[in-house]
Amino acid sequence: MRTFDLLRVPLLGRFLRWRYSRFVLQLPLLLVAFLALYDGFFGRQLAPKNFATVSVWLHYRGFLVLAIAVFGNLFCAACPMMLVRGPTRFAKRFLPQFRWPRRLRNKYFVIALTVLYLFAYEYWDLWASPWLTAWLIVGYFGVAFLVDAFFPEGTFCKYVCPLGNFNFTLSTVSPTQITARDPARCLTCEGKYCVNGRVETAAGRKTAREAGPAEGVRYPGCETRLYVPEIKTNMDCTLCLNCLRACPYDNVALRPRFPGLEWLRARYRLDVVWLGVLLFFAGFMNALGMVPAYYRIAEGLSRLLGTRNEAVLLLVIYALWIGLGAGLTLLVATLADRLSGVRQTAWKAVRYWGTGFFPLAFAMWAGHYAFHFLTGWATIVPVTQQALANLGLPVGEPDWTLAALVPENWLYPLQVGILYLGLLASSYVLFGRARQRDHFLAGGVVFAYFFLLVALALWVLAQPMEMRGTLLLPPGSR
Amino acid sequence: MRKWAWLLVLALAACQPKHGEPLQAKVRFVPEHPTVGKAEVCIEVDPRVEYTRMTVVGDMTHPGMIPVKAEAHPAGPGLWRVDAFDFNMRGDWVLTITAYDASGKKYTKEVRLTVP
Repeated sequence: MRTFDLLRVPLLGRFLRWRYSRFVLQLPLLLVAFLALYDGFFGRQLAPKNFATVSVWLHYRGFLVLAIAVFGNLFCAACPMMLVRGPTRFAKRFLPQFRWPRRLRNKYFVIALTVLYLFAYEYWDLWASPWLTAWLIVGYFGVAFLVDAFFPEGTFCKYVCPLGNFNFTLSTVSPTQITARDPARCLTCEGKYCVNGRVETAAGRKTAREAGPAEGVRYPGCETRLYVPEIKTNMDCTLCLNCLRACPYDNVALRPRFPGLEWLRARYRLDVVWLGVLLFFAGFMNALGMVPAYYRIAEGLSRLLGTRNEAVLLLVIYALWIGLGAGLTLLVATLADRLSGVRQTAWKAVRYWGTGFFPLAFAMWAGHYAFHFLTGWATIVPVTQQALANLGLPVGEPDWTLAALVPENWLYPLQVGILYLGLLASSYVLFGRARQRDHFLAGGVVFAYFFLLVALALWVLAQPMEMRGTLLLPPGSR
Repeated sequence: MRKWAWLLVLALAACQPKHGEPLQAKVRFVPEHPTVGKAEVCIEVDPRVEYTRMTVVGDMTHPGMIPVKAEAHPAGPGLWRVDAFDFNMRGDWVLTITAYDASGKKYTKEVRLTVP
């Protein structure tokens, strides 16, 4: 197992080493983005029958979690937004360059952007609007261009992109990871090319910084500044494989691994742990937003606060739920610390125990996305036909009855299975950490908390769906 | 260059979907506010126009949901009816009513409603 390296697999390895392999992966998603823009702006404004909404909210999200679960962060590797890199390299010649503020070199900014994005998703019902979905794509490309034009490459992925950071966090469950084939070889590496980039000039091999603008064959290093022999987690790895191509010693491997070891051994920063916690509670809220109980809560809150302003109600619901989640997590982690005889700040306790949220966050999103993806996966066929027909291509009559991949009565058991697996993985982390402190009960306390959260999530997923764009029904309509 | 960029932005911002030939019709439901389950859909059209066929397709606003299809039948002068349209889920529905006249010309009307 230790010696198996996906980069050594015939054909696959050769393809991944090829300098244009990322472009080949990005090209299909770029074409999808173009078609989504076209249909989103010019197609029929009915979400289930528009390529923009179906491809983005159904297939992109479904394939994303599937890819993360079975391989790794493929969607960052194939991210078409990074194709702005060509234009931004040109623009950088004329534009002033800035360093990303030190205070923002963490995940808190991304956490804020993620909350903002989730609020926008619910408030403007992005899922129901092809037009807004198309604008979201434009906005995403625009922000990627601006950040990349004014700041060092990789800044957007690491510190700004909510989607990328969602992928980073969830890819901690992935069964593969970049690693050094022979870590000892890295000790004598003179340039740390995997992170600093390599330039083969007439005067010899140099790092990108040493070479400056000198002529030569350039192999960029890791844009998110990961040094291969020190990589212990998939966090911040876009799987771009720059490291593979930059290493002159062919010392980079993509190895299978047991993700549980990462959760046990990696010492995530507090901001990273909070991102994992947020993603669980946000995933829960995303699912809750589609069941009648959510609307009853909104109606009750509306009566309590005396307002029918949906922005206010949404803000209050989000603040209460995420605040409650953060507060309970702090409380439970601190209690577990005290039980195990450790007296440290609540923040440190969250840093220690909060790692258990990573598999749970993945399970929450995967369970939810699996439902939508499996109920409507085949709708991509008629919407693509329709979008292409609008472009004048002869693609035949769309068959709108195409939809489900599996029988409907399989879906809930599947979601239950995914969440149980998530809880099982979390319990591995929690009891593993409790064992490190030789105090089983401490892990049990956090496990009980997770068990309750999963039970609540399963209850939400068992509710009948209610797909509504408005938080409150018009008076008298019920 | 800048002029073209502005034109592109305005074009994108202004573009809205094109609608087909509009169907002049009033749509009622029995019960008036349908809930999950079967409901009657009544479509009142201009009795002077002779329609030969009328279909009702219901879509939920979330992508991926299977549409509900029903054929309306004539129920009097200028009146077409679907006896039991299946609103099989709570939420926002978009009903697309498509009518065909004797020459095969297509007319459509979109009705949005929330099923609580």
